[in-house]
Parts: sequence; C-alpha cells; structure tokens
Amino acid sequence: MRKLILVALIILLILPAAFAAGQKGTAEASAKTVTVFGAFVDEEARRFEEAIKPFEERTGIDVIYEGSKDFETLISVRVEGGNPPDIAGLPQPGLMVNFASQGKLVPMWSSLIATIDKNYAPVWKSLGSYDGTPYGVFHRVNAKSFVWYPKKAWATAGYQVPTTWNELTALMDKMVANGHTPWAVGIESGGATGWVGTDWIEDIMLRTAGPDVYDKWVSNEIPFNAPEVKQAFDVLGKIWLNPKYVYGGTNTILTTSFGDAQRPMFDNPPKAWMHRQGNFITGFFPENIQANLTDEVGVFPLPAINDEFGIPVLGGGDQFVVFNDRPEVRQFMEFLATWESGESWAKAGGALFPYLNQDLDAYPNEIERSLAEALVNAKVFRFDASDLMPAQVGAGSFWTGIVDWVTGKPLDTMLNEVQRSWPK
Amino acid sequence: MARANVKKSNWTIIVNLVLLVLVIIWSIPILGLFISSVRPQDNVLTTGWWTVFGEHGELTFDNYRQVLGGRGYTFVDSAGNTVRASGDNLSQAFLNSFTVTIPSVIIPILIASAAAFAFAWMIFPGRKFFFTTVVALLVVPLQIALIPILRDYQGLGLTGSYLGIWLAHTGFGLPLGIYLLYNYISTIPRDVFESAFLDGARPMIVFSRLVLPLSVPAIASLAIFQFLWVWNDLLVALVFLGGTADVAVLTQRLATMVGSRGQDWHLLTAGAFVAMVVPLAVFFGLQRYFVEGLMAGSVKG
Repeated sequence: MRKLILVALIILLILPAAFAAGQKGTAEASAKTVTVFGAFVDEEARRFEEAIKPFEERTGIDVIYEGSKDFETLISVRVEGGNPPDIAGLPQPGLMVNFASQGKLVPMWSSLIATIDKNYAPVWKSLGSYDGTPYGVFHRVNAKSFVWYPKKAWATAGYQVPTTWNELTALMDKMVANGHTPWAVGIESGGATGWVGTDWIEDIMLRTAGPDVYDKWVSNEIPFNAPEVKQAFDVLGKIWLNPKYVYGGTNTILTTSFGDAQRPMFDNPPKAWMHRQGNFITGFFPENIQANLTDEVGVFPLPAINDEFGIPVLGGGDQFVVFNDRPEVRQFMEFLATWESGESWAKAGGALFPYLNQDLDAYPNEIERSLAEALVNAKVFRFDASDLMPAQVGAGSFWTGIVDWVTGKPLDTMLNEVQRSWPK
Repeated sequence: MARANVKKSNWTIIVNLVLLVLVIIWSIPILGLFISSVRPQDNVLTTGWWTVFGEHGELTFDNYRQVLGGRGYTFVDSAGNTVRASGDNLSQAFLNSFTVTIPSVIIPILIASAAAFAFAWMIFPGRKFFFTTVVALLVVPLQIALIPILRDYQGLGLTGSYLGIWLAHTGFGLPLGIYLLYNYISTIPRDVFESAFLDGARPMIVFSRLVLPLSVPAIASLAIFQFLWVWNDLLVALVFLGGTADVAVLTQRLATMVGSRGQDWHLLTAGAFVAMVVPLAVFFGLQRYFVEGLMAGSVKG
C-alpha cells in the first residue's frame, strides 16, 4: 500500500513537470514575440487579437495578448517585480503618469510622434503625455455623453429628439404629463458604486462651466466645493432627486446595477423612456434588442446647456505604453497608431476609434457610425474626470459622495468632505 | 437520573433544530445559485431565481454549454467576412489547474511532514527557535511577499514557469502544513519510536515506515486544505504564472468569462458549479480522513 502511494506520488510529480517542460520549449521556439497586457478580456480580447492579425501576417511577429480583470493591481506588481509586459494598455492616464514619473516607460520616438500628429486630434496626444513627452498611443476609445431611447415606443408616443436642454426639460414634463417616467438610472457597481453619477456630473460640468473650468476642477485648481460644481449637482438633482423623473426614485438609483438599469426601457410599454450611458451599454441590451439595434434603439448626444460650450463629448480609452524597447515592439506601436489596427474591430461592432482618417462606413450600423462621427467631430473632448483625479477622490470619495448625496446628505456637506479628501 | 436524561434529550433536540435552521440558511443561496445557472439569461437578469417555481419556469443548459464549450463570438476576419466562432473551452484551463495544483499539494506535504517529524522528535540546537519562526510565519500575509519573490524569480528565470508557481505555493503553504502536522505527529506515543530506535532504526526509516503511515489522517486533511487553497487561488497564479491562454488556470478563465464590464455575469453561476466539481470530488474522496484529521492535534494527549 505504502509503495503504491509512493509510486503514485512520483508519477504525479513527474508527469506535470514533463508536460510543463514541453510547453516551455514550444514557447521559446517562436521567433519574435511582443507581449501585450491589458484590462479588457473575453470577447473584446478576441476581437483585439483579430484586429492585429494583419500586422502579424505582414511582419511575422507574434503578438501575445493577455487580459485580466485585476489589471490595475497586477501591472503595478509586475512592473515593481521587474517583470513588465512589452506593452501595456492603461485604462487610466494616472497610471501612465505614475510609471512615466518613475522612469519605467519608453518615450515615443519621432517617427511615431509624427504618425500620432497625423492620425489623432491633439487632445489624444496630450492625454498620452507626461511633462510634455508623449508616452501613450490610444487605440479603442469610448464616449459617454449619449442618451438612448426605445425608438418604436417613442414613435408611437410622438416624442421628438431634443436638441437643447430646454427641449429636454420640456420633453421630460410632457412624459410625466402622459404618465410616463422619463429616466432609467442605476449606479450600483459593487465596490465602484457611484461612477455612473460621476459621469453625469462631468457631462453637466462640461456643459455648464465649460472645458477650461473642467480642467481646473480636475487638477483641483478650483476646489471641489466651488460654485460651478455645486451648480452641476443642482442641475443633476433636478432630475435624479425628483421621483417623477426617475423610474423607482432614488432607491432604485442606488440599488440597480449600472448594466441592468436600461432594462425598463424595453418593457412593453416602457417603464422608463431614456437612459444616459456610454457606447458600451449596447452590449447589455436584451438579446432581441441587440439583434435589431438600429430598429429598436435611438440615440442622441446629451444636449447643450450653455450655447457657448456646445455639445462636448466625455469619454475614455486605453492607452498603450512601452516598457521594453525592442524593434518589434516599436513596429507594433506604429501599427496601433493607424486606423488599420482598428478596422476589423470597428466592423465587428462595439468599439469606437479616434483616428481622424478612419472610414466611418466600417461601423456595422447607423448608431455606431453616428457615435464615431460625434467623437471625431467633437470640438471639445474631455477624458473622464474621475479617471484623471487622484485615486483617493476619483475612485473613492467622489463615488461615495454621489451615493451619500442620493441618499440625502446635504450637498454642501458632501462637497466639503470630497474636497477634504483631496491629497495634499 | 431520569430527569437528567430528559434534559439531555431536550438539549439534543434544540441543538439539532438550530443546526437544521443553519443548514437551511446556508443552503438557500447555493440552491438559488444552482437554479440561476439553469435559467435563461433574460430571466436571470430581470427576475429572482424563486420565480422559477411560478411564472418563469423555463430551464436551459445554455449557460453550461457556453461555459464548457466556449462562448460564441462574432468578429470580422481580414477578408471582411463576419465570422462566428466559438471561443476556447475549459479543457485547457482544467489541465493547467491540475498541473499547478497537484505538485503544489504534494511538495509541501512531503516537506512539511519531514519538518514536523524533525521538530517533534529529533533533538537539534535551535529547534524551538526555528519552530517558533515557522509558526510566526502563519500570520504574515502572502501579499507582501509577491513583489520581492517576483524580483528573485525574474533573476532566476522562474517567472511564468510551472516550477515557479509550485515553489511559491509550497512556500506559502508550508507554515500551516508544518504546524498542523507537528500537532499530530507530536501526539504519536513515544513508545512507538523508542522500540524502533532500540532496534537500531535510523530517523529516515522511522519517518518513512512509522510516521508517514501513522499520519495519514492528518496528511489527508492538510491535502484537502492545500488543494482547495491552490485550486481556488487567483492572485498567486496571476502574478507568477500570468494569464495567457496556454497557462491560465480555471479561476482566471472564470474571472474573464464575465466580460470586461461584467455584462455576462449570468455565466458565473454555471461556471461556479463547473469549478466546484473537482474540489467536491476531492473533499468527498478524502472526507473520511477529514473529520478525524481536523480533530488531530486539537487535543494534545
């Protein structure tokens, strides 16, 4: 019996070892590889891999993508541990600033900078720069300032797409008069609950105070309890804190997951008639809606509040930065800066790209085409403020502040608390 | 005497009732998880699992099909055709998990049992000091060791290799293993060893012929602990092994299955049950040792 156990142990030990050794051999055999580490996984990772195939076929370089949901933690551990990937796709500019200031990143070289200047609007270059030096290249991006609505039900009810904030307010009152609830809102997102609210505030800030004040707010040149911020919360409060305007009132706002919040729009008759969210939300729509997206869903940009600032677009995106400087890594970065690297993903749907020279016809439906058009043509584009602010605020007190405010904490108290939490 | 018996049986009933209530409370979420795993996606997202007994009675194995057989993706290939392909299935991830787990259970058990024997029955200078150090390591969280170890691994070329993660799990598992086995092995009656030593047996013979066979219950319970810990581990695997498809373990595949924004969380229900199968099999396989082994060392006789 004992001998049997011993033999079994030895076999179990040796088998996987041999198997592991075999695997390692095959990995080393392939010639040039570039490792890319990013935060997107599953279907999106698959589409990214498909989108870079033309590069792999042309150059013979093997690009290995690895995605993880724990990206933010892992990238810091791996960089600190001396095991960084060749290229990383950072979802937050703050991460880039951290790594760049520690001297971990390879700055962009002149030929790539020339490509960036040609293919992107200036805002993307400055978002990818630290201390005047460009470090990052944007690939897939997202835009958030959109309002989605059930198209068929709107047509039946005779609602028109509002083009100004006043028209929007009038529309909301008309809906209430018809016994309809205008908005579907949900901000629950586990440990990140509240970020939906920060997006709303940012969108309103851009429309009431303008991009310059927005930038100062992000860098805390104006405090978090400044009148401009207060005004944005007042505008939002008129919608969110009015139980007639939001499906289920404030309780539903707090307890509904951001992804499921749009569902009441697709009940028959709709329990809510509008939903403000980024372009990714289409992936959460019910399957029968996704199958006929263009027929079932309409979308319009959140209207301007102050004509002076027009309709700005709020968004975000992953920027790719270089940790290891090798010729094949450079080649891949130059590929990422071109529309060719996004084309097949754009065709598959669910992704927007910032390239100035992109072919809008590549997008699979009218909705995504109009979103891409709004993104490329936006006079003002700003990165998600909560991703730019220090993590204690942008991924902390700003989120919880939103929750507290919806729960009923007085606005001034909440804003003062957020301001106090700003790292000195 | 009779009164004492009545009192005792009353107590038994109360204890059993409390246990029954606890079992029910603990089982309801699992039941809900299981029911959710066989409901269609739209129902999972819009209604609670209990409605399955009423208006939303549809059942489907679609979630299991997607988890086991790989999700369907649509993408556009370089020729411009829209292709629908199914993603990777879980077989590679299962294989990787076994490759990581089995040595990560066996190596620490071999080392820990030898160490426990030495600490318990061999006399050498610094025995108390070393044993205290090992026990003190129990309270050190493994997270603080990640970056230093990763740096060393980088120098040794161990990052991304199975050997590296076996050693990591071995190191993280040893303090508990040594402590648990020490408590058991130190309770083996001294007489057993004395007669063996009198017959001229060397420590290695005593260890392999006497200690190992006598410690099977404790070793089995340690094996269960270590197996569950390694099988369910996500962090250590992500840091030392990485998450590329050829090495990704089951927990990593499950974590990515929900999508970048968690839009496919309904698949987690089925994924949880698929991932549970192996630990349950191990648990039931070693269960008869487990209860015995848990008691092991709790009372030092």
